Amino acid sequence: MSALDDIKLYFFHSHHYIPIPDDQERFRTTVVDYPNSQYDPQVGHALYERHLRTMKRAAELGFDGLAINEHHSMVFSMSPTVGLLAARYVTATDDIPIMVAGTPINLQYPNRVAEEYAMLDVMSGGRMEYAFPLGTGMEYWANEGTVNPVTARARFRESLDIITRAWTEDGPFRYDGEFYTYRYLNVWPKPLQKPRPKCFIVGTGSEETVQLAADHDMGYSIVFVPIKSQLRAFDRLRELAGERGRTVDPDDLVIVVMAYVADTDEEAVREARPHIENFFSWFHRVTPRFLVPPGYVTTAEFLRRVSDAATAKSTEATWDDMINVGRIACGSPDTVAETIVAWCKEAGCGRVNVALENGDMPEWKVAKSTTLFAEQVIPRIRARLNGGGDDTVDRSLVTAGVK
Amino acid sequence: MAGYREDRYEVNGIDTAVLDAGDGEPLVYFHGAGTAFGFDHLLPLAERFRLIVPNHPGFGASADDPAIDGLHDYVLHYLDLLDQLGVGELVLVGESLGGCIAAWFAIEQPRRIRRLALLSPFGLRVPDHPSTDFFSIPDEQVPEHLVADLSLFAGAPMPPPPEFLAERYREAASFARVAWHSPYDRKLPRWLHRITAPTLLVWGEEDRLHPVGQAAAWADLIPNAEVITFPGVGHLPVIETPEAVPAIASFLAAEVSASA
Repeated sequence: MSALDDIKLYFFHSHHYIPIPDDQERFRTTVVDYPNSQYDPQVGHALYERHLRTMKRAAELGFDGLAINEHHSMVFSMSPTVGLLAARYVTATDDIPIMVAGTPINLQYPNRVAEEYAMLDVMSGGRMEYAFPLGTGMEYWANEGTVNPVTARARFRESLDIITRAWTEDGPFRYDGEFYTYRYLNVWPKPLQKPRPKCFIVGTGSEETVQLAADHDMGYSIVFVPIKSQLRAFDRLRELAGERGRTVDPDDLVIVVMAYVADTDEEAVREARPHIENFFSWFHRVTPRFLVPPGYVTTAEFLRRVSDAATAKSTEATWDDMINVGRIACGSPDTVAETIVAWCKEAGCGRVNVALENGDMPEWKVAKSTTLFAEQVIPRIRARLNGGGDDTVDRSLVTAGVK
Repeated sequence: MAGYREDRYEVNGIDTAVLDAGDGEPLVYFHGAGTAFGFDHLLPLAERFRLIVPNHPGFGASADDPAIDGLHDYVLHYLDLLDQLGVGELVLVGESLGGCIAAWFAIEQPRRIRRLALLSPFGLRVPDHPSTDFFSIPDEQVPEHLVADLSLFAGAPMPPPPEFLAERYREAASFARVAWHSPYDRKLPRWLHRITAPTLLVWGEEDRLHPVGQAAAWADLIPNAEVITFPGVGHLPVIETPEAVPAIASFLAAEVSASA
C-alpha cells in the first residue's frame, strides 16, 4: 500500500461557452471586454443542458467527485455564480462529493459565501468541498471591478478568516476587521460537516497562498502553472505545515490535469489536439493588462512576469510548449494512466481534478474520452498506485503520446 | 542651470525623496501619477523660487505606503513633510493627480497658500466633459492619451524595458489605491470655494484624459481663478510646450494685489 492508494479522481469542468465566431481574429480577447452580444442565450441554454448531461455521465461512470469553478465575463466559463451550478448538481446526483472551486471570496461579501456554501452542504447531506481562489486578475475589470485589486489579497485573508470562523464558532459573535464589521455574525444554516467541509486554497503556488493554506489547516489546489512551480509549492506547504506540527496528507494536495483518452496515442492526439490548441488560443485569449490589474501582484512579481517572454506570449504557444509547460495527458489508457501516476508520485498528491472537456470539443468526444477514462484509466491508476504496477515510471512515456 | 539635490526624509515612517533646487520663496510641486519624464523641465522655476518636488509615497524614489488609500492621506503626509522642511507659507503647483492633491491641500490650508497653479488636474466630474478613466486605457494607447505630439516619445526604447514597465505598474498601483473606484473625487465641488489664493488653471487644448472643457468648471468653483490653455498640447503642458513653465513662473511670481 502506498500513501496514494486511495487516490481521488474528480471530474473537473469549466462550463465553456463553446461557439467560436467565424471572424474570431478581430477579437483581441475573449474575456472582460469580449462583447456579450456574442452570447446567444438559446445556445447557452443548450450548453447548460449539455454540461448537465456531461456531469451526470461522469457521476454515473464512477468518478470520485465532481469539481466546478467560477469566472466572470469570459467565454471560458458560464459559471459566474458557481453556487447555483452546485445546487443543480447536488440535485442531479445522489452521493458523489462536489468540489466548488469557487467564488473569489475577496470579490463577494464573505458572510454571503459562508451562508451559500453552508446551505449547499446541508442540502447535499454533507457532500460539499470548497476551494477558495483569489480570483484571476481578469475578474477585477468587469462586473466585479468595484473591488480595488490593490486590496485583493488583504480582503482574501480577512474573508477566509470570517468564513471559517462563521462556520466553526457558535454565533452570534462580533467581528471587527479591516474591511468588514459584523455586529452579529451568525450564519444560518451552518455546515452539516463538522468542524467544517474539507477546504483548499486555490492558487498558483505563491508563498502567500501556500502560507494561508498552512495557517488555516487547508489543502492546496494548484492551477495550471508549470510543473516545477507546482512541486515547489507542495514542498513548501509540507515544510510550513511541519513547522506548525501538522502533516500534509496526499488528500490535501490537488493537481489539475487536462486529459483525452482514445484507443491509441495517435488517435487521442488526432482527436484532441485542435480543441486543446484552441483552449489556449481562443478560450484563454487575454491581453497582459487584464491579467494583472494595478496592485494585484507586487512590483517584483510584475517584473518577473514581464521579464518572462514565455508568459507574455502564452496564447501563441506551440503544441510542444503546451505539453511541456503543464499537465496534459493525451493518449491511450495506458499512456494516460502512467502519466497521471507519475505526476501523482512526483507531487505526492492524492487528488487529481481531471479536465476532460477543453476548448470546442464536440460532445461525442467528451463522452468517449470520459467513458474511456472512467472504465479504463481509473482502474489502471488504482492498480498501479496499489502496488500492482511498476513504480519506476519512465518519464519519457509521459509525453510519448503527443510528440 | 543647476540641477536638483535629492534629500530623503522619514515622514511618518515612510522614506520620502525630495528634489530641491534654488533659493527663495518655497514652491512645492505635487507631481502626477507617473514620474517617467523626470522633473528637469521644471528647473527654470528654481530661478525665482526654492523649488521642492517631493516624490509621493509609492512613486519615483519614495517608498511605498500601503496605508495611503485616499487623497486626504496625501494631504496629511505633506503637512508632516512641510513641518520637517520648515515650510510655512508657500506657492503650490499640482499636476494631474498632484493637482487634485494640491486642491485639497489648499482647501484645508487656505491661509498658507500664496498662489496656486493646477495643471490638468484630476478629479472634477464635469458631465459635459467627462474624463477618460486612466485604468480603461489599453497599454499601447497610454502615450497618445498623455501627449498630443507622439514624437516626444521618439527615441524611447520599444518595447520598453521590463524595469521601466514594472516601475509604471508600481505607480499605477499607487494611483489605484486612491482612484480605482472612480476617476472622480465627488466631494471636490462642495469644497473648492475654500481656496482663497489666486489660482491659475493650466490646460492643454488637446488633453484626452481631462478635456479642456473642465477648466471652466474649476474656474467657476474656485473664487479667484484664471485659465490659460495651450493649443496643440495634451495632458502634460509642462512637458509638451516650452511656453508653459514660464507662464506658470510669471503667474506665481506676481505679488498679490492690494484688492486680493
